[in-house]
Amino acid sequence: MTEKANFNQPQRQSLIGVLVMFTDTFQKIIRAMWPLLVVWLFKFNQMNKLYLGLGLLVVIALVGIIAYLQYLNFTFYIDEESDEFIISKGVLNKTKIAIQLHKIQQVNINQTLVQKIIGVHALDVDTAGSNKKEVSIRAISHNLAVALKTKLLSEAKKEQLNNQSTEIPLTDKEEPFIKISFVSLLKIGVTSNYVRSFGVLMAFFITIYENVKQILQSADAGDAANAVDEKIDSYLNFDMAVYSAFLFILVLFVLILIVNLVRTIIRYFDFKMAKQNHSLLLSYGLLNTKNTIIKPEKVQIVALSQNWLQKKMDVLNIKIKQASGNETDKENKKSALEIPGCNAVEKDEILKLLFSQIPQQGAKLQPNWRYLLFPVLFYVVIPVSVLLLYVFNSEEATLNYLVFLPFYLAFVAIMLYFSYRHYRLFVNEQYIIRQSGAWDIDREIIEPHKIQSVKVSQLFWHKRANIGSITIATAGGSLSFRLGNFDRVKELANLWLYQVETTEKNWM
Amino acid sequence: MNFTNETLNIDELPKYQEVPLQPLHPDYWKVMLISRIIFFVILGIVTGIVLFFNDEIREFWGYFMVILLVLFGISVVLGKLGFKKKGYAFRKHDVLYKSGIISETTTIIPFSRIQHVAMHEGVFARMFGLASIGIFTAGGGDSDIEIPGIEKEKALQIKQLLMSKLSEEPENPIVDHDGESEL
Repeated sequence: MTEKANFNQPQRQSLIGVLVMFTDTFQKIIRAMWPLLVVWLFKFNQMNKLYLGLGLLVVIALVGIIAYLQYLNFTFYIDEESDEFIISKGVLNKTKIAIQLHKIQQVNINQTLVQKIIGVHALDVDTAGSNKKEVSIRAISHNLAVALKTKLLSEAKKEQLNNQSTEIPLTDKEEPFIKISFVSLLKIGVTSNYVRSFGVLMAFFITIYENVKQILQSADAGDAANAVDEKIDSYLNFDMAVYSAFLFILVLFVLILIVNLVRTIIRYFDFKMAKQNHSLLLSYGLLNTKNTIIKPEKVQIVALSQNWLQKKMDVLNIKIKQASGNETDKENKKSALEIPGCNAVEKDEILKLLFSQIPQQGAKLQPNWRYLLFPVLFYVVIPVSVLLLYVFNSEEATLNYLVFLPFYLAFVAIMLYFSYRHYRLFVNEQYIIRQSGAWDIDREIIEPHKIQSVKVSQLFWHKRANIGSITIATAGGSLSFRLGNFDRVKELANLWLYQVETTEKNWM
Repeated sequence: MNFTNETLNIDELPKYQEVPLQPLHPDYWKVMLISRIIFFVILGIVTGIVLFFNDEIREFWGYFMVILLVLFGISVVLGKLGFKKKGYAFRKHDVLYKSGIISETTTIIPFSRIQHVAMHEGVFARMFGLASIGIFTAGGGDSDIEIPGIEKEKALQIKQLLMSKLSEEPENPIVDHDGESEL
């Protein structure tokens, strides 16, 4: 089926790919200018429609020309002599990127919505030692993409004799062994990420509120704005406050549910996993289809996450962190692969594939009660004292708001209690499992031979109490356990060092 | 496959906490002192300029002097304590580095996990013939070690030693997921 493509000559992308580049550039412009656009939207009626239309046309024409130039200047080919994959690009600043084939770690074929509509694919090349995808061919036909991927990876393999798994790109014939059903996605969608969505929503509302206020103010500066301001503020008198607070929370909650649901479904729709030799192939996405490979030997940390509701519904999330050069923790989080909504059976199967058995929890280590001191200070002592200071220094009306304080304290107390109770380290000879979290219980699994370094630390006032912390770093992120019995901690450090130094296994 | 699996007696494992640590070279304290003095001299000059151009607070110049001196004193005392706490050791299979006054931290990197080694000579360190050794792993910035205040000759030796350890370790032991191996 696949045509025998020749990659030795510099070639361009599909011509229709100009469209992709066009939308890419256009998106970038909109993203950079969105605050301005929002303001314009509000002032739409006051503006000269003719100029606006002309301006828009000019921008579109410009972006179109840029996209076409980008298309013209983007070429790629494989240099057989130096074994390099070479890409030239750039309109004003010309760039030539040469990637040695043996450094190529992964080649992914993805599709965004635009690419889906016009029927092209993106091909991303991942290399070792860099934190971002260095090279992305934005528009290439599927056949060509598959052929190029095979070519790149087979060339890479020739040099990487030590890597045994022969790479065959994902074709539609792969028999997926796990398919995440739509129902599971629904379950995960409504039960996860409360905290993150809450933050996003809050930020969203605050921005909207501020913006509306600003726009109203700038629209008719002076008295009117102040009146509106007072109006908004006066809504918040106490009688309304309790009622509106509950209403607000309810609305927020429903919004969070919907946002989570929609995001999960768009992101992970039709989640398929296929086994191939020793690798896992993932493909997922409603609008943007993504394909990735997980190689068990590259996996550093496997994190299972499940909350009480999810337990009842028999779904959980798996996050897989793979080795990826010298990255900061933040970037690692981004590159972590997520498998949403598998059930207990599927989880066991995935774990078996990654570890060749199901990791068992070993001897338990729990934190000292002092573990609670810092969170108590941070979530209770400081905010409450600031609040009290503020309330008693202002008018009496605000005293009424103290009604909310017990709710907050009860909430924090429950969360802290559970976060303390769930914070555990389980160690046996093969696995290190750290459990943490108050509502979402995370269990992170590391194999000792993946450890890069061990760090033991103790605050000087904890010497008497004989407690201390340990951090183990892997190429996929670190994991620490705080304030455990220091004798045990030192013992663990010695054990893990012994294991790392005697193991035959490589960390990658 | 000759596989044995004796029970491991954790008590009999070598203990990192009992390894005698090598202190940093005494001259490194002078380097620390010089950099502190320079920092405070610059800070003093900046304060002086501010005082010169600002009439309102000029009369309080005495207070500024005292504050600067006290800060300098604290920084020197903490520096000395920190200097005494720092130490390193090389075992057969790993390198240890201990530091920290408030939080006493020991970082241990097994030789087999070292990605690369770097030697660095600061301006003042060079005046005393000192250098520092950076040891990097794939675990990212948090897991790396930088040992300062080593005599240059010794630093070179250490670097050689680590490099030889690096090449000694089988670069990529071919271990399959099932534990089969082939060459």
